[in-house]
Amino acid sequence: MTGHLSEPLRACLPVREELDIVLARTCARELARRGGFPDAATEAAATAISEVARNIIVHAGMGEILLEVVKERGRRELVVLACDRGPGIPDLDRAMLDGYSTAGGLGLGLSSARRLMDEFHVVSRVGKGTVVTMKKWAA
Amino acid sequence: MADTTFAGTDLPRRAEIEIDEQEVNRRKQFLEFRADDAEALKSLEPIAEQYADPVIEDLYRHFLSFDETGGFFRDPKVLERVKRLQREYFVRLTEGDYGADYVRNRLGIGTVHERIDLAPKWYLGAYSFYLRAVATRLLEAFGKEPQKAFSAFLSLMKLVFLDIGLAVETYIAARDRTMRKQQEAIRELSTPVLQIRDRLLLLPIIGVIDTHRARLITESLLRSIRANRARVVVMDVTGVATVDSKVAQHILQAVAAARLMGASVIVTGLSSNVAQSLVALGIDLGTLNTAGDLQGGIEDAERILGYRVVRAAETGRGPQLAERR
Repeated sequence: MTGHLSEPLRACLPVREELDIVLARTCARELARRGGFPDAATEAAATAISEVARNIIVHAGMGEILLEVVKERGRRELVVLACDRGPGIPDLDRAMLDGYSTAGGLGLGLSSARRLMDEFHVVSRVGKGTVVTMKKWAA
Repeated sequence: MADTTFAGTDLPRRAEIEIDEQEVNRRKQFLEFRADDAEALKSLEPIAEQYADPVIEDLYRHFLSFDETGGFFRDPKVLERVKRLQREYFVRLTEGDYGADYVRNRLGIGTVHERIDLAPKWYLGAYSFYLRAVATRLLEAFGKEPQKAFSAFLSLMKLVFLDIGLAVETYIAARDRTMRKQQEAIRELSTPVLQIRDRLLLLPIIGVIDTHRARLITESLLRSIRANRARVVVMDVTGVATVDSKVAQHILQAVAAARLMGASVIVTGLSSNVAQSLVALGIDLGTLNTAGDLQGGIEDAERILGYRVVRAAETGRGPQLAERR
């Protein structure tokens, strides 16, 4: 059962340029703060959101990030969905490895995001796009 | 190229709206503004000349009856001048040749209105007033041939919508330009490199480090290292809220570049949350000299450079100086 908090803590943010990464982070921080998340969890989530948002810009050009604080099994969670209609990830296993990059970065984006969050899941179809779903628990 | 590209007059170079011949034609196609429309409008020229003054009088009476628009025309001299320009605008609608010059002229008019800060809602409202005022006059002028009046009105509407499109774009371009300027200003202002002692520089970083800013920071850092013959740089990131892998990469690159210039970098001000995130990011920071806070970083730097900072009292130089510390 997914029960929402009294006020819906959710946001849908377009991701098109570097500035949007900042906005997504700021918004996630605000949601986490209102959801009563500890600072460390908030900062970890903000950093992970940074990574997936940057992936959207670098690889897909544009996409969206959906954020929501939900209550599941008596625990508050920040749910992050990062979606794009980009080229997709042909080799997901390799993309999840540290240091694997097709765009000249450090190649830490996805693997870092996974380490920073409590739950992490990627679905990608070549030529269709990518959806990253991740969750951070409040405690 | 130069004669097929027209830009709004007086617009600063970077934000010039560039609309080439092809683009104008494309817009006209979409508006279904064809040669016969141009002809129809041209044939209205005598009517336009005849009705220009009464239409413009009506328009300004309307403007003056609202504070938001009337405020621009309190000065009779200004009113006189804008009426004359408005008349030119009005008559130009029926002068034919809706090409390069026409578009340049229209972009210029949009720019003027944007510059005096006339909100688009009033600007567009004025167009509505214009069209209605002209419709009435056309019916009057064509008398027993309302069909012709209507057809002429449709041609005019197409052209007016071309104008509106151009005007709206000048507003958007101006807004974009302002935002770009502000971003630039923030970036430029926020990358100071300060010399705190001989051969010791302080680089406080505040806010968001994106690729562009990272380049600016690295550039000004390297410039300052050379200019001051610096050996140690304290880079304080207290003001950086989030260090993700990209920001970390930028920092590492700046540090590496500084090292090549003969200066070592001490990074200070990593918050506990950022530190935890960095570990989770899996970035190898083993090469990075860090200190807990800015003070610690400066102390480390002074040690490296052989400075020994002592209280004035300990040197026996008198109590006043000691108290000032």
